[in-house]
Amino acid sequence: MLMDTRLQSDLERADTYSFLPVWRRLSAQIAIIVTTLLAIVLIGEFARPSFDAQLERLLSLALVPFPVILWLFVSVLPEYRVSRPRRRLIGVAVVSALTASAIGLPLVNDFFTVQQWLPLQSVFTRILGYTLTAGIVDAGLKFLVLRYLILPQGLRVRSDAVAYALASSIGYSAYLNLELIWRLEPTWDIAAIYLLVNITVQLASGLFLALGIIEAYFSDAYPFVLPANLLVAAMTTGIIFALVGGFLSGPLSTAGNIDRPLFAFALLVGSLVATLGIVYFLYSNAERREREAFGSQWDSNAI
Amino acid sequence: MQFDTGRSPAIQFTPRQRWSVAITYIVIAFGFALGVNQRDSALNQASEYRNLEAGIAALYPARWFLEESGSYVFRVRDMAHLGFKTIIEVSTSPVGPDTTERNIFDQLSLQRSQVLIDYTVLGYDNYRLADDSAAVSMSYSFVSRDTSPFLEGVSSIVNALDILTIRRGQALVISFRADERIYQAELETLRWFVQNLEF
Repeated sequence: MLMDTRLQSDLERADTYSFLPVWRRLSAQIAIIVTTLLAIVLIGEFARPSFDAQLERLLSLALVPFPVILWLFVSVLPEYRVSRPRRRLIGVAVVSALTASAIGLPLVNDFFTVQQWLPLQSVFTRILGYTLTAGIVDAGLKFLVLRYLILPQGLRVRSDAVAYALASSIGYSAYLNLELIWRLEPTWDIAAIYLLVNITVQLASGLFLALGIIEAYFSDAYPFVLPANLLVAAMTTGIIFALVGGFLSGPLSTAGNIDRPLFAFALLVGSLVATLGIVYFLYSNAERREREAFGSQWDSNAI
Repeated sequence: MQFDTGRSPAIQFTPRQRWSVAITYIVIAFGFALGVNQRDSALNQASEYRNLEAGIAALYPARWFLEESGSYVFRVRDMAHLGFKTIIEVSTSPVGPDTTERNIFDQLSLQRSQVLIDYTVLGYDNYRLADDSAAVSMSYSFVSRDTSPFLEGVSSIVNALDILTIRRGQALVISFRADERIYQAELETLRWFVQNLEF
């Protein structure tokens, strides 16, 4: 039964060109987002432009749809040019955004009230706290969205899981960005940092979640692999949330406290690149192992 | 262009996949419960206050800020809250044998009406302390404004409750003040505080 499933999987995978490749497009999106936001942070840091309050709010809010529009152009529209598109990408993104709005954010802000007790704790407690609150809630909700919208019918090749996890992360982070920038009314360059925080956190946790789904559904891995990946996804959220505040705020002195957006930016880009590298390495490694296993099985059958 | 209906390599879950999903649900539920536990232990963590001279022992939320220099025995404030900081203040004063609770409340009202903006007494009630002894409470409200006009802060309406009991010739007043928007929620903290107060 399992063998049949794998054979079927590989036969379908032979038709690789009918699926849109994911990794190069994902990397391109991250590169464009990071470059654009870095330019905004550098302008804010060195040129220090002064905008009218209304214009600054408008500019900050205008950043919110930027990753979504980029994703639509780079990942969604090209799907309709291949013979076997991933047709639920927009649905997954919309449901993820609605889930963030209806469940995720109220749970983290109003039920866990993390702002009341976590920011003043030690680093270790902050990492643990954010992992068990925001991390578990975000990763858990994204998993539920993928479970009920995609699994198992929507998964045909491994890259499907990455594409849908990206869609879920983009949708989820879009609502968080909108709420945060609308509520806090930050300056343009700080809004860029907030945007990068949410995108990094959601994308990192989404990619680990995708890795777990891939292992569970394509390699038929041990049952603890998927939950372990969900925990890693939650932990990335915990680590990034716990550290980014300290990187963003400078040390207290008699002159006051100055934001250091470039430090926070470096941490976030480092986290994003490290996550992408780790997940891609494990993804391609698992794919290679399966290809080799299938090759040796093919050879023994031929003999 | 005709699209192919892509089907999964495993339209039916294998037993391992079924277990994967089930264990993931359990991990989410367990992680959520641990998060609730961590929140509760952080929010309910208590510190002990003891003042032998005044004969007072109390527990207060550990994350609240303790102050002892003032016209009170001690007070604790929730500094994490934006806007008006929720306060629990404990003060004592000697009273004569004929002094009633109402006399003390009237005196407090007289003082407060001169220093608090829009000070209004909302009513009096009986209050039962942890040792089942009787106390009297007075609820009131006022408007809190930043002391510095240059801060351009928005005024807050503060709801407050005084709990008064007289023992051994001493009046003990527990004053609780909170922003009206969070007053009901913060009353739980006051009840917990009063439950653990020894006088």
